[in-house]
Amino acid sequence: MNFKLQRESFRSKKISAKEATQEAIVKAKKDKLNIFINHFENEALLKAEHIDNNFDEFKDMPLSGIPIAHKDIFCTKNITTTCGSKMLENFVPPYESTVTENCNAAGSIMIAKTNMDEFAMGSSNETSFFGPVSNPWKENLVPGGSSGGSAACVAANITSISTGTDTGGSIRQPAALCGITGMKPTYGLVSRWGMIAFCSSMDQAGPFSRDAFGCAALLDAMASYDTKDSTCTKRKKVCFEKSLNKNFGNLKIGVIKNIDNLGVSKDILNAYENSKIVLQGLGHQLSEIDFSELSSGICSYYVIAPAECSSNLSRFDGIKFGHRSQTQKDISDLYMQTRSEGFGDEVKKRILIGTHVLSAGFYDAYYLKAQKVRRMMKNKFEEVFKEVDLIFMPTTLDQAFKKNRESSDPNRMYKEDLLTIPANLAGLPAISFPNGLKNNLPIGGQLIGNYFGEDLLLNTTNKIQEVTDWHKMTP
Amino acid sequence: MAQNDTLVKGWQPVIGLEVHVQILTNTKLFSPAKNKFGEDANTLVDLIDMGLPGVLPVLNEGAMKQGIKFGLATSAKIAKTMIFDRKNYFYPDLPKGYQITQLHFPIVRDGVVDIGNKKIRIHQAHLEEDAGKSIHDQYDANSVIDLNRSGVPLLEIVSEPDIRSASEAVDYLKKIHQIITYLDISDGNMSQGSMRCDANVSIMRPDAKEFGTRAEIKNINSFKFVEKAINYEIKRQIKVLEGGKTIEQETRLYDSTKDETRSMRTKEFANDYRYFPCPDLVPTNISEDLIEEVKNSMDELPEEKEGRFKKEYKLDDYEAKVLCSEKSTANFFEEVCKTTDPALSAKWIIGEVNALINKHDITLDDSKITSDNFSSLITKIKDGTISGKIAKEVLEEIWNTGKNPKKIIKSKGLEQISDEGELESIAQSVLDKNSSQVEAYKSGKDKLFGYFVGQVMKETQGKANPASINEILKRLLNS
Amino acid sequence: MDKIELKNLLFLARIGIEDKEHPKILEKLKNTFDLIDEMNELNLDNIEPLNNPLELNNVSREDSDNDRNSKKDFLEGSPESDEDYFIVPKIIE
Repeated sequence: MNFKLQRESFRSKKISAKEATQEAIVKAKKDKLNIFINHFENEALLKAEHIDNNFDEFKDMPLSGIPIAHKDIFCTKNITTTCGSKMLENFVPPYESTVTENCNAAGSIMIAKTNMDEFAMGSSNETSFFGPVSNPWKENLVPGGSSGGSAACVAANITSISTGTDTGGSIRQPAALCGITGMKPTYGLVSRWGMIAFCSSMDQAGPFSRDAFGCAALLDAMASYDTKDSTCTKRKKVCFEKSLNKNFGNLKIGVIKNIDNLGVSKDILNAYENSKIVLQGLGHQLSEIDFSELSSGICSYYVIAPAECSSNLSRFDGIKFGHRSQTQKDISDLYMQTRSEGFGDEVKKRILIGTHVLSAGFYDAYYLKAQKVRRMMKNKFEEVFKEVDLIFMPTTLDQAFKKNRESSDPNRMYKEDLLTIPANLAGLPAISFPNGLKNNLPIGGQLIGNYFGEDLLLNTTNKIQEVTDWHKMTP
Repeated sequence: MAQNDTLVKGWQPVIGLEVHVQILTNTKLFSPAKNKFGEDANTLVDLIDMGLPGVLPVLNEGAMKQGIKFGLATSAKIAKTMIFDRKNYFYPDLPKGYQITQLHFPIVRDGVVDIGNKKIRIHQAHLEEDAGKSIHDQYDANSVIDLNRSGVPLLEIVSEPDIRSASEAVDYLKKIHQIITYLDISDGNMSQGSMRCDANVSIMRPDAKEFGTRAEIKNINSFKFVEKAINYEIKRQIKVLEGGKTIEQETRLYDSTKDETRSMRTKEFANDYRYFPCPDLVPTNISEDLIEEVKNSMDELPEEKEGRFKKEYKLDDYEAKVLCSEKSTANFFEEVCKTTDPALSAKWIIGEVNALINKHDITLDDSKITSDNFSSLITKIKDGTISGKIAKEVLEEIWNTGKNPKKIIKSKGLEQISDEGELESIAQSVLDKNSSQVEAYKSGKDKLFGYFVGQVMKETQGKANPASINEILKRLLNS
Repeated sequence: MDKIELKNLLFLARIGIEDKEHPKILEKLKNTFDLIDEMNELNLDNIEPLNNPLELNNVSREDSDNDRNSKKDFLEGSPESDEDYFIVPKIIE
C-alpha cells in the first residue's frame, strides 16, 4: 500500500476517507499477527466522516484522509493506552499526546493502537503483556521491537503509515526486519508530551511507511515545536515532503571500515555492498571511516536506559492510575504487589539494573562512565561529520529471527541494537530502508545524518528508492 | 569553634538549620496549576502534578526569580548554571516516585545572614517541588492523598552549622522569616506550613577538632518549638554521651505536647535516593542581565528601609528598627506619614498600637486600625483636639469598632478643653476648693502641684489640655 | 552482585520477587553487567559526561496559569478514591 497513491486517491476524490478507513478496519480485524492491542472502529468512522464532510479543510493536509495506526505508547485522550503492559491495561488518559494530536489535525484517522514491547523495552515485540507480534513475512518470526506492531501494520498493508518510537533502535530495527522504511528523527524534533517515557534523554517518536515519501509526510505532521516539552527544540519548520525534490548534489557518504568484525551476517553484508554500488551510481562518493567506538555504544546504552527507566517507572505505584494489586496489607505491600504484578520480567530486570547503576557507590563507576561514553560517541560523530555528509551502514546484525530464540550469548537480544544505538546516544537522526531480500526475508540499510538533517536523509533515501525496488516488496 | 557563652554543662552545641519555604508564585514550580493554599482537596492539581504517564515538567521562571532575590538579599553567589536533579524514593504523596530538586548545582550558594551579634553563613539555597499531603483521619483503615500541594515551589535554605544555641537558632529563623516576607518571597507562615524547619543538632567538647554526630529533628512548626526542641535535644545528647554511649545519626521527630524528640522508626534498608540530573529538564544559565533585572525589581531590604526611615522621618535607631521589623508595620507607618506627623505616629505605633497587637494576638493588617483612622487620630493629638490620655481611649475604641476618630470624639464629647478662659476658671475653682492645699504648696510642698493638675483633670474628665493647665496653674499659684 | 544487594535493590525498586527466583535473576543481571563492564576497556580520560544529546539550555515558562485540573477525571480514573481524595492503605508515620 503506497501512501502517496492513497493520498492522491483521497485528494482526487477517487476514494473517500470513510471508504479508506472502512477498508483498513476490516483488514485490521482480520489480523492474525497480533498487531493491535485495541481497535477504535466507531471513533475512526466518525473522524473519517468528519474529514469527508470538511474535505476542503483537510485536502491539503499532509495526511489527508489516511488511516493510521499509532504505537500504544502515545496517550490518546479518553482512549485506552496500555504501553504493552498489564500495569496500564485499562488506563484511559485524560489528555492527548502532541504526536497524535498533530496527526489528527493533519487529517489522519486512527483505526487502532499497535502492539509493542512492554514500556518500549525489547527488540522483538515478545515482551508485550498482550502477547508477541508475528512478522508478516513469516509468522514464526519476530517483527522486531519495540515498535513491532506498527512496523508489521505497514508491512502487512493494513495502513500505509504508522507511528513508532525509537530509543535504541525501536523504529529502525523493526523497519529492517519487516521490509519497510522507518525513521528516528533528531532528538528534540518531535515533542515527547504524552509519549510514555522509557529513557527520556533518548526517546524519539518517528514515522513508518513503505517509503521515504510516506515517512516524510508523516514526519511533517508529527514534528512541531512544543513548549510543553523542555527538551524539544525551536527550529524553522522544514517541509520534509518538499525537501524530497530538492537537489542536494553529490554527497560524501561514510561507510564503516571492518564492519564485518561486528558480527553482521553475510547476507546483510551482501545487501550492504550492493547498496554501496547504488549510492555510487547516484553520484555519491563513498569514504571509509574508522568507527571502532561504534560497538561500545551498547554498554553505555544498557546503563543509561535502565537508569532513566527505573526512575520514570516509579510513578506506577497503584495509587493514582493504572493497575493496583487486590492483595494489600499495607502501603509497602501495595507497592510491592502492584509493581510485581503489573510489570513483566524484562521491565523488572531493567528497573533493577537501573536502580543499581544509580546507587550510592556505583554511580560513578556506571552512570557517570556511561555518560562519558555517550560524550565520546557524540564527539566521534562530530569528527566524522566534518568529513562526510551521511553515514551508511546496515541496520541490524541479522534478519528476522525465530520467536523464543535460544542463543549461547545471553546478551544476543541486546546486541540486536548494536548498530542502531549509537545514533540514539548522540541524538542524531537515522533512517532504515529496505535494501535487500534473502531467504525470502527483508534486509535493511541505515543512513545516519547530522543534527536536524532529516531532509537530507529522506531525500537521499527517496533517490535510492527511485532506482531500486526493495521498498515495494511485500510478504 | 567553641563559643563560651553558649556552652551547656561544658558541652558546645552545634546547630544547622534547614528551612523549607513555600515560594509565592502564581503557578507551581513545573506545572501551570495555581499555587494557592486552602482550596478544596485535589482541585489545584495539573496533569503534571498527577505524574501521569507521558507528562513533562517545564520550569516556572517566576520561581527562579524568587530564588535569585533570596540570593541577592543574603549576599550569596547566584549560580551561573543551575541544574535540577531527581531524588528517587517512594511515598504515597509523591506522585512520580521522585522529587525534582537541586543537588550539585543549586540556584544560590554561600550566603550570609546577620542576626545582630553574629553572622550565620548559608551553605546553599535550592529550588525543589513540594509533595502532596497524606491525611490519616478520614478513614479507620485507610489514609487519603491530597495532591494540591504536589509541585508547589519550595526554596530549601540550608545553613552552615554556625549556630551555637537554641536562641541563636530562633534569631536566625526570625531573620530568614524577615527576609522572605520583606521581599515577598514567601508568606513565611509556620503554622500553615509555608515555612518549615528541620534542625541538625550535635554537641562536642569545646576543645574538640571535629563536630559530633548529629541528629536531625523534624516536625517543628513554630519559633517557640524550635527553641524547645533544640534545647531538649542538646540535653538528651549530653545525657547520652555522659552515660558513655554514642549519638546515632538519625532522624527524630519533635513532639510538642511532651516536649521531647523521638527516634523515627528505622527502616530495614537504608534509603538511597539515587540522585541523577533530571533528563526532562535542561540546565539554566543565569545571566547577569537577569540578576540585574531581579535586583531592580526588589523591594528594599529591612536594613535599607531602616536607614531611609532614620533619614526621611528623623527617627532614631531603635524606632527605625522596631518599625521596620515587619514590612506590614513599615508600610503602615509610611502610609500614615503621608497625612500626619511622623514622630508622633512612630511613638504611638511602637507604644500603644503594638501593645494592643500583643494583647489581642492579631496582626495589624487583621485589626480594625487603618492608616486612615490612625492618621486621623494622630492629627487630632498633634493639633490639640484631644489629650494624650484621651487619645488612648479613642485608640481602643478604634481597635474595637474601626470607627472614625472624629466620630468617636464627637459622640463621646472628648474634645480637649484648650480655651484659656474656660481652663482658667476651672483651675481657679479647683484652687478655691482646695485652699489648704494651696497654702501648703505655697509654703513649700511642691509635690502638690501634681494634685492640682489631677483635680483639674478630674473636673474636666481628662479633657483639659495638659500643657495649658500646667501653665495656668503655675501662673495662678504664683500670683 | 550478591543476594543481599539484590534484596536491597528489590526494596529500593519496590519490586517483589520470590526468594527461589533470586538465583535466576542474579544470573540474568550478571550477564547484563558483563556486557556493561566492557565500558571499562575504554579510555575515558578528560571526557565530560553528556546528559542531553543536544545540550540545550534555558527553557522556562512565564508564571501564568492554565487550568487543566480535572479532579473528577483524576479521581474516577484512579484505582480507589472517594469524592475528594485518593485512597490508600493506612500509612503509619
